[in-house]
Order: sequence, then structure tokens, then C-alpha cells
Amino acid sequence: MQITNKDLRKKPDITGFLFILPAVLVLFLLLLYPVFTSVYYSFTSKHLVRPSYKFVGFDNYIKVLSDPNFYKAFMTNIKWTVYSLAGQLLVGFTAAMALHRIKKFKSFLRTILIIPWAFPSIVIALSWKWILNGVYGFVPIMLQKLGIVSEIPQFFSNPNLVFGTLVFVNIWFGSPLIMVNILSALQSVPEDQYEAAQIDGASAWQSFCSITVPHIRNVVGLLMVLRTIWIFNSFDIIFLLTGGGPANITTTLPIYAYNIGWGIKQLGRSSAITVLLLIFLLLVCALYFKLLNKWEKEFN
Amino acid sequence: MKKRVLKRGWFSATISYTYLSILGILAAFPLVWIILSAFKSKGEITAYPTRFFPKVFSLEYFDIVLNQLKFTGNIVNSIVIAGATTLIALTISALAAYGIVRFFPRFGKALTRVLITTYMFPPILLAVPYSILMGSLGLVNTRIGLIIMYLSFSVPYAIWLLVGFFKTVPIGIEEAARVDGANKFVVFYKIVLPIVAPGIVAVAIYTFINAWNEFLYALIMTNSRELMTVSVALKSLEGQEVLDWGTMMAASTMVVLPSVIFFMLIQKKIAGGLAAGSVK
Amino acid sequence: MKKLVTLLLCLSILLSAMIMPAMADELEGEIVFWHSFSQGPRLETIQKAADDFMAANPKVKITIETFSWGDFYTKWTTGFSSGNLPDMSSALPNHVVEMIDYDAIIPMDPLIDEIGRDRFNPAPLLEMTKDGVCYAVPLYSHAQVMWYRKDLLEKYDLEVPKTWDELKVAADTITKGENGEVYGCSVPFGIGDLMATRYLNFYVRSAGETLLTEDGKANITSQAAIDGIKYWVQMYKDNSPADSINFKVLDQATLYYQGKNAFDFNSGFQIGGVEANSPQLLDYIDCAPMPKLTVDSEILGNETSNIPMVIWKNSKNPQICEAFIKFLYQDDYYIPFLHSVPVGMLSAFVDTASNPAYLANEKVQKYQHAMEVISTTMQSGTAIGMEYGPKPQAGLLTSQNVIETMFQNIIINNVDVETAAQEAEDTLNELFETLN
Repeated sequence: MQITNKDLRKKPDITGFLFILPAVLVLFLLLLYPVFTSVYYSFTSKHLVRPSYKFVGFDNYIKVLSDPNFYKAFMTNIKWTVYSLAGQLLVGFTAAMALHRIKKFKSFLRTILIIPWAFPSIVIALSWKWILNGVYGFVPIMLQKLGIVSEIPQFFSNPNLVFGTLVFVNIWFGSPLIMVNILSALQSVPEDQYEAAQIDGASAWQSFCSITVPHIRNVVGLLMVLRTIWIFNSFDIIFLLTGGGPANITTTLPIYAYNIGWGIKQLGRSSAITVLLLIFLLLVCALYFKLLNKWEKEFN
Repeated sequence: MKKRVLKRGWFSATISYTYLSILGILAAFPLVWIILSAFKSKGEITAYPTRFFPKVFSLEYFDIVLNQLKFTGNIVNSIVIAGATTLIALTISALAAYGIVRFFPRFGKALTRVLITTYMFPPILLAVPYSILMGSLGLVNTRIGLIIMYLSFSVPYAIWLLVGFFKTVPIGIEEAARVDGANKFVVFYKIVLPIVAPGIVAVAIYTFINAWNEFLYALIMTNSRELMTVSVALKSLEGQEVLDWGTMMAASTMVVLPSVIFFMLIQKKIAGGLAAGSVK
Repeated sequence: MKKLVTLLLCLSILLSAMIMPAMADELEGEIVFWHSFSQGPRLETIQKAADDFMAANPKVKITIETFSWGDFYTKWTTGFSSGNLPDMSSALPNHVVEMIDYDAIIPMDPLIDEIGRDRFNPAPLLEMTKDGVCYAVPLYSHAQVMWYRKDLLEKYDLEVPKTWDELKVAADTITKGENGEVYGCSVPFGIGDLMATRYLNFYVRSAGETLLTEDGKANITSQAAIDGIKYWVQMYKDNSPADSINFKVLDQATLYYQGKNAFDFNSGFQIGGVEANSPQLLDYIDCAPMPKLTVDSEILGNETSNIPMVIWKNSKNPQICEAFIKFLYQDDYYIPFLHSVPVGMLSAFVDTASNPAYLANEKVQKYQHAMEVISTTMQSGTAIGMEYGPKPQAGLLTSQNVIETMFQNIIINNVDVETAAQEAEDTLNELFETLN
């Protein structure tokens, strides 16, 4: 929407500032203060409990960057983010397409499909742990009984399964949000554009590419930005389901940082890890935004 | 009809229904399973082989959760904390989003992107500074302390979504009101807010869910059982002396079932959520 | 004149001496008490003591907040810098060592003397003493022993194992015979808990070795440790559910409570757990001393846990805490507290064992044998890594999942035992450096 009133635009008087003042205060106090504190800590020997600490320059960063476990956790984190994001987008997108396609039971099915969204992470962890438990779990025992597998599958202790299990749970939890948003974007596509395309003799695939995709890709793009950040930083699900184990197979950077900061209480070092994580995310998002800008220009 | 087929392309109805049914079963299974487990009796829950339906519907575990653990108090806490967070965050964010759109449009885009980057600070990074901040304010182990901490992630997100909604308000309407002599706050309150009401509702729901689901801060900042949110109260069950799956499932049922019903009622409203706000 | 002054002085001293105790008796203020007895009768007995104490001292308010041990640790370490701490709390021995290290708690010697130093078992006091000052009051003790199922031993015609090798044979027999219904001897390796360290320590201690050397270095590569690692890995492969690689203390204990584990290592807490889960098994459970390395080797001290209470330095009302602790140790409260987990929590006092009120309990009578076994084991044991006295290294040894991860690496990534042990030892020693 174009803003035409030059008077309003040119003179952001005192009232204008009043509108944004509370938000600025909140952001300053609640985000800048702790973030700067953490960045500051990352250059000190800050201990979680002991009160005294000193400035140590880049020591923490050097320690972190020379720890092979850091790189291992980083790679696990990337894998975790890419697989989860791809899975969530794929399931969310296809479910939205399917829902958009049907007429009967549409709202019933949509309601069922958003159930996972209503699960707090602790309930996600408890319920899946219970369902997939290798001793009493319903699903593993059923799989064996139905003859699909010969031995009860160990979803949390088999090294070949555990990472996939976590990614599955994350996709299960994250797809509904994506589905709902893509669905509403699909519904915003004007019908007449499809009619026009049909008259021009375009195939279904062609009109999908030329009409549907441009309409939804902005939403998809923003979802990708948000989700990448969320998944990359996510702590609860892994912490509660596996704690990073077994044998550190599922240790991502936030878990690694937690172990350093809370386990051995080297808060300075764990701050350095999170600052590195932040820098990486900033880079990734800069790339995303570049892509989004390009899409926006094409769309307009 | 032909048009529809074309429009929806290669997704045929049969495939769609089959696919959605499979997804539906996957989505609903954990809910069904925790509810069924919660109604089982003590011996049955870990019996081998596991039965799908309880032999007898027992309320044993619900009795423990309600009468011994006083779980309803925790649910009330979560509602109060998430509700207050939503109310405060929405007020602050609506003002800010409108302010950005109307008075600082040139910075709008840059600002909203800065807001996104605030999401990149992992909560673990913030936990210790917060704990110190809240300690010095005397707000440790209080609902207010937790609400303030929740504003840190609610406000940026809400502003970001709301900016999109406020952009859709035609300025002509506001000008007409201004000519009539109304000041900016009155214009905002009486004219603009009603127009973006659907957007506000959607954002409110997102904010509420995020606050409702939060775990880490609540774990670190709450001491008293009476002040615990449902997530922390549930987590505390896991650390008991006896691993009691039945109680945990009954408590989970009490947490999830109301949310699911709430979702069913409001699902039309969240549908627009991100999309409407972010398309532009 | 001088005389008058002297007289007045004497009088005032006398007066104040008379008033002071009266004033001290009138306690006033609020205290917050964190403890980890978060469920059932244990919670209730402590709450009752607090209620009665408040009734006797109307100006005192005691707020009780409970956490699992894990959450408690996270909370006080995080809350330390913001002052989010209680006035008094229960604690684990490793916590106490750390608390002393951070100068977070106050000396308890005056209180201990007041209650009667001679009444306490000496070992727990020693465990919490640094430089001649004792920083905690023992609340109860328990020791790890070997639990078994009498019915299963009978069914397979087995003796109670006395050595590790006998245990392995017995467990193998039961696993084979029960064909998945019961596991012979589940071995827990889950991270987020100290179970794998505990199991390794059992073996290492029975060989007279320790996981921490006298000068506070990790010792995972001793012959005993290497043998112990191999022993438990084999036991896991042969006699455990695969999932026990992720088991924490509760997962592991629950298996025994439900009758799905034949041999388990735990304290007297097993009895209450079995009672809650499968009361039909109550007649078939019993315990025996830790297995030995060979039949001829003498029984060596193993793992004993002495759970104490501490008073935090930041407390504004330490005198209320002290008064309340003293109050709690009265027979009227202390005996019911011990009875709330019969045989699980053994008294901190020497004289309780002959106290008729204590012996009147039905469970205490029924499991007389178990109690004797645990009491005997308790005398000579210490917390893991504290064989040479309280050390902050012991805290890191058990809390950092190093040994747990080592076991997982051996099982999942097929890492060679010697390499894995060396790696774990190096990691631990590196972690110990953060203590300086």
C-alpha cells in the first residue's frame, strides 16, 4: 500500500516516537542488555557460579574452535536443521496442496492435522518417548508383532535410528504451521488467473509454476527464515528426548553450549559458542534476505 | 469442474484423501495414545503386550494429578502467564507496528529485519543475564518476572507480523478522521485497530501458543510448585522417585486436550496468520 | 561510686543474660527450604514437621519447595549469581563439596554439637568436613547393594552370586531361561545421570581401586577399570534391554520394580518401588553384599550416599534453620521420616537402630536381613570418588557424563576399550582443570 500523505511521512513528530517507545524500551532492556552481557562474557573467564572473573581476550574462542566436539556438534546442527526444514516444508506444502484440492471433510482434516502444534515440547518429548520406548513402547512392539521387523526396533538407542527419530518428531511438530500458512497463501491466488492461463492453453504444471509458485514463495521464503532460526536454535526437543546422546550422536550446538555452560560451568566459553552460532545465523539470514528481495522484485 | 481439476493440478482427489488420512493418523496418534494410556489402571499401563484400549477405564491417574499434584493450579498459572504476556505484548507491538508503518516507513523494512535477527539469540544465551537481571529486580520466582522475560521473544515476533497487517490499512480513512480533529491515538484506536482486528487475533494466538509452550525460562525461574507452569510441572514429574508413566500421561492429557479444543475453535482465525502479514 | 558502677554493670549483664535467651527463643522470620523428597509420605512428614514448628513458633514462616535432584542442581548453580537460593536445603555429598568450594554454606559444628556429635555416625560427618569444619548435617544414609529375586534364583537353581563372574553366569542363565520376559542384569548407561559411573565404580572398588586418585586425577585406565568396563559392556550385550543404553536411575529402577530385571544394584529404595508397582513380588526380593572380584578377596567398601542438610550463607535467618533442623531430628518427626521409605533411608544416628519406635515398623521387621546388609555395607563406603576425602573432582566425575559417553562410544561406535578409557581419562583430567 502506497502512503500518499507526505505530511505524515515527513514529520515523525513526538507522537510518532511515543508509538514505538514502549517497544524500543522492551527490546533494549530485554534483548540488547542480555546480548551485550553475553558477548562481553564471551571474552572473560566468567564461571556460572563463582563471582570473580577476568578478561581473557579471545581465549574462549580459541578453545572452542580447537575443540573437535564443536565441529561435530556444528555438523550435527546443520544436518538437523536441513533435514528438519526440508521435511517440514515438504510435508507442510504437500498437505496444504492436498487440503486445497479437496472439498469434503476439509475443515475436519485440517483440524486433525494441526493437533501437533498444540503440544508443548515437554509433552512432545514425554509422549514420543512413551510411544517409541524400546521396552514397553507401543509402536516398536506392534512393528515386531506385525512382522515388519524381526526385532523390536530401538528408536532411541540404535545409532542408525536415533537421529532420524528426532528429525521425524521435529517434522511432526513443525509441519502444521507451515501447512496452515501455505494453505492460506494458496487461497489468496485469484481464480481468474488460472482461467486466463487455461485459455492460453497452459498445462497444469505450467500454471502451477507461473501462477501458484509466485504467490506462495514469499510466504515460503519467510517461513524458511523463521524456521531455520528456530530449528537451528531449538533446544527443548533434543534436550528432553535424548539429551544429546547416545554417544553424542544428537548433540547440536545449543546442547553443546549447555553442557559447557551448565555442566562444567564455563559460562564464558559457552557464551563464545552462542556468539559463534549467532554470527553463523546472521550470515545464513543475510543470504535468505537477498533471495527474498529478488523474489519480491519479481513479484511486484 | 474441469477448471478445478486444472487449477489444482496433478493432485487428484483420491491421492489427496489417502495422503491426508495417513498424515491425520500420524498427527493424531500421540494424542489418542496419551489419552488412552491415562485411562488405564496401574498394572495395565506397562503390561506386556500392550493393549490398545484400556481393559477398564480407570480414573486413578487423574485422581493423582488433580488431587495430589493439584495440577489445575499449574494450568491456571500457564493461562495467566500466557494471557498476560499476550495482552501486554500485543499492546506494545500494535503501537510499535503502527508507528513504524505510519511514521517511519523508510526504516520499516530494515527494522523488521532487525527484529527477525533478535530471534537468533538462543534462549540459553540469555538465561543467565536474565536470571541476574530478575534477581536484582526481585522478580525471581514470580509470575511477573516470567511475563517480562516472555516479552523478549513475543514483542519482536508480534511487531514483525503486525507490520504486515498495518500496511494494508488505507491511509485515506485515517486522513478523513484526522480532518475531523481526532488525534493520532484516537485514530489508531478507533479507526485503524478495528480494520486489522483479524490480524491482531491471529498474532495474539501465535503469541499465546509460544508463551504457553515455553520451557527453559520457566524451569530456571520458578521455584514454588504453585507457581510452576504446566511444562515445568510436567517435567518435575519425570524426576520423581518412581517413574510413573500413567500420571505423566494423565497430566499430559490435561495439558494438551484443552489446547487441541482451543485450536479447533479458533483454527479459521490462525489460518491467515503469517501469510496475510508477510505477503507484502 | 566505683562500686555502684560495678554493681550496675553486673546487674545489667545479669539482666541481659536473663533476657537474651528469652529473646532468642522467640524466633521470628521467614525461611525457604528446598528439598528433593518430592513425593508421597516423605514430603508429608517433612511438611508436618514444618507445620508443627510454625505452630510452636507463630512468628516463623517456613516455605517448602521441592525439586528433583537434577533440577535442584541446575537451579542453585544458575540462581547463585542472582541470589535465587533458599535458606536451607537438602543436598548430595557432591553438591556439598561444591558449595563449600563456592563458600556458599555455613559451618554446622555448633548445631552438630548441640544435637550431640556422638550420636552421629562418624563417616558422613567426615565426608562433609573441610579443614576441620563440618558444613552439613547428615540426614540419612544409604548404600548400594545387589538386589535379586529369590523366586528366580530358585527357579533356575542358582546360589546368590558372591563374585562378579558368578553374577554373570546367573544373569546369563536367567536371561536365557526367561526369553525376554525378564532381563538377567540390566546395565544403565544413560547420559544425564551417573549410573554408568556408579556401575563401573562398583567393580573398581571391589578390586580395591578408585576412579579418582589420591591427588584428584581421573583413573579410568587402571587394570580394574579396564576389566570393569569390559565386564559391564559384556553384561549389557548379554543381559540388558538395548534401550538401557539410555537408562537413567528411574528407568533402571522401574525395570526391577516391575519384575523385569533379575539383578539390580540399588539401595533400600527398591522395596518401596516394588510395593508401588508390583506388590505381588514383595515376598521375593532381597539383597546381598556387592559381588567380589574372587571368592577369597575380602569385602571392600563400596558406594555409600550420605544425604545431608545445609544452611546457605545468604540466609537472613540461619538461627531459624538451625532450630528447625533440631526440631526435625526429634523422634516424633525423624522416625516417621525414616519410615516413609523403610530400609531406604537409614538413620544418621547410631542409636536409632536400637530405638523401639524405629523397630516397630512392619517393613523394617520384614526386611531385617536387607537392612543388615545395607548397614554393614554402609559403614565402609563413601560417595563415588571421595575415597580419599571430599573432592570437587568427584562432582565432575559423576556429573559430566564422561564415563556414560565412553560406554556408549564403546557399544555404538565399537571403540576399543583401552582407547575409550584413555580418552575418558584425558577428558576428565581436562575438565578437572576448570576447577582452578
